Amino acid sequence: MTGDKNRSTEKVFIVEDDASICAGLSDLLESAGLATQSFASAEQFLGRWTPDMTGCIVLDVRLPGISGLELQSKLLESKIVLPVVIMTAHGDVPMVRKALKAGAVEFLSKPFQDSELLEAVEQAFALDRVRREKQDRAQTIELRAQSLTERERQVMGLVTTGLTNKEIAERLFLSVVTVKLHRGQMMRKMQAESLADLVKMSELLSHQENPRNPQS
Amino acid sequence: MNARTVRWSRWTVEFGLKPLAISTFFVLVALLWTFPLQHAIAYPFVFLFFGAIMGSAWFGGFVAGLLAIGMSFVTIDFFFIPPLYSISVGKESRSFLTAFVVCAIAIALVSSARRRAETAILIARDELEQRVQERTAELKHSNAEITERERQLRLLTEAIPQQIWAADAGGRVEYCNRDLLEYLGVRTDPIQGETFFSIFHPEDASLFRESWDGARTSGGRFEIQVRVRGGSGLYRWFLVRGVPQRASNGEILRWYGVHIDLEDQHHSQQRILSAYENLSRFGRTMSLAEMAASIAHELNQPLTALVTHASACRRWLQNEPPNVIRATAAADRLVQETTRAADVVSRVRSLFSKADYVREPTDLNQLIHGLSGVIRDDAIRRGVSIRLRLANDLPVVDLDAVQMQQLLLNLAVNGMEAMEGASGLKVLEFSTEALAGGEIQVGVRDTGPGIPETIRARIFDPFFTTKPQGTGMGLAICRSILEAHDGRIWAEAADSGALVKFIVRAQA
Repeated sequence: MTGDKNRSTEKVFIVEDDASICAGLSDLLESAGLATQSFASAEQFLGRWTPDMTGCIVLDVRLPGISGLELQSKLLESKIVLPVVIMTAHGDVPMVRKALKAGAVEFLSKPFQDSELLEAVEQAFALDRVRREKQDRAQTIELRAQSLTERERQVMGLVTTGLTNKEIAERLFLSVVTVKLHRGQMMRKMQAESLADLVKMSELLSHQENPRNPQS
Repeated sequence: MNARTVRWSRWTVEFGLKPLAISTFFVLVALLWTFPLQHAIAYPFVFLFFGAIMGSAWFGGFVAGLLAIGMSFVTIDFFFIPPLYSISVGKESRSFLTAFVVCAIAIALVSSARRRAETAILIARDELEQRVQERTAELKHSNAEITERERQLRLLTEAIPQQIWAADAGGRVEYCNRDLLEYLGVRTDPIQGETFFSIFHPEDASLFRESWDGARTSGGRFEIQVRVRGGSGLYRWFLVRGVPQRASNGEILRWYGVHIDLEDQHHSQQRILSAYENLSRFGRTMSLAEMAASIAHELNQPLTALVTHASACRRWLQNEPPNVIRATAAADRLVQETTRAADVVSRVRSLFSKADYVREPTDLNQLIHGLSGVIRDDAIRRGVSIRLRLANDLPVVDLDAVQMQQLLLNLAVNGMEAMEGASGLKVLEFSTEALAGGEIQVGVRDTGPGIPETIRARIFDPFFTTKPQGTGMGLAICRSILEAHDGRIWAEAADSGALVKFIVRAQA
């Protein structure tokens, strides 16, 4: 929706046990006009997490208790979809691979330039925004779909599989004229501008019903 | 009651009926013979009655003798003493009868006494006989037992999967069990005297003789690891253990020995050793890598903080309008952070500081002796002989013995590794020499390919290595140990092989 509204709620969640680095990071991000919130451990972050958190996580690998990489897989498990930027003082190839495989946006080796961090955070924010827009759109379409009658939903299902009006009429034992009526009504309710538009919407709907793979 | 009755009746038979029957029988026999004889002899004939009395006393005992005397007296008086066929005795016959009775009593006494003695002898002989038989049986039994035990013992010694022998006090072999004979590939039993030494590896035979002689003079047991030649002509390592059997006066009568096959153990020990070596080498690299990683991490943390503080500071200043307050705060943190970074650096330095060295008066010769003991097995395995050329008049030096041993071990292992694959005699030589000014020079020489002159100056640099798996730290550590001891180390040109020398100073 409106970018400014998003900006006001977006935050960088810093998970880093070194207090000095933590302070530096939040200072740096604030100097770039970003809001931050710091956590000294993975456990602390999980304890304070709420579903309405938006933005991204800047995560250190070496943490007391649950490590950064473990937290990353825990986030995946509990479907917390905040994008993650990983940072470490001693990264090796397997570690980078593991982090990126688990969906990390960027892998920063300490010490890093401020621009590297800011770019990574910007990228993560963009990703989060896309995700939320997708989520919002899916919610709108879901609302529209709920306003359909049973018959209109049937017609929509058959239209999106590529059947003609005549074929639909035969399937549903209706006249072609009735099908045309239902179809027009349905297109109006769904605010679909074309058949292609409708197909996209129905895809979103089916993903919504099948949330096992949220990324398309 | 009953028992008493039985005893009474037995007594009656023994002292009543039996003597009565015997005496009656003998007296009747005498009487029947005397009747026909009386007509031939004028005087009353009584000698047969003496015979009857003697027989009765012999066979029936004194009681029967008395009864026979009584009966004979009555019979003689009745039949042969006038007046005939009457009990009365004529005056002229009284003395005769009295003499008869006295003689008869004497005969009865003598006869019964003789009989008793005879019987006693008989009984004694029987007893003796029985006892002899019993003893014989016992002896036979215990003989059988001994034989059985001996057989079992022999079975045991044959069954034990170890090689066992027994030798007399002089070392002549008396017995070898089957296992030993089989191993040696010898059929005849026993292998005698001198040939016994021929089963040992020529290098070990003198060692064996030495330790046996030592055991013989000290009178104790001995134990030694030697190579023994098998029937196939191959040598295997054995632990030979001998125990003396002594007489009560302490003199050694016999030796019992066992050979325990150590070859497999030797192999597994060597495997463990080489595994251990690999591990420690790996561990050394690991610990270096880990130390490097942790130092990197320790330094990276403050560096990261520094960079972020600095960047934040610059950004606050670049903002429009510049936020001086936030920029100053960031700059303050920047300053604080530098102290932390400096702390890390000094901590790392202190890890390698000289303060850790513990110096004690140390005899370098003794240290080298100890070390050659430590690496002896390794050297044997690699076919390397260790030679010591140590000076006698070495002053005692203040050293960190552990560090110095580490240094010597590094040099020794380097030398032995250098000789791997080299042909000819492999010798690792340690030498010590006292120099003027209280300095001690130690040399470690090997007969390997030597150190090329081009790299001789660089071998003590950190991370310099010619080995594919080397860390390049071994000789660098050696040098730092010596520097900590105010000594120095260098490699010298040698006729053959490598020669590394170092000098330590005796503290004034």
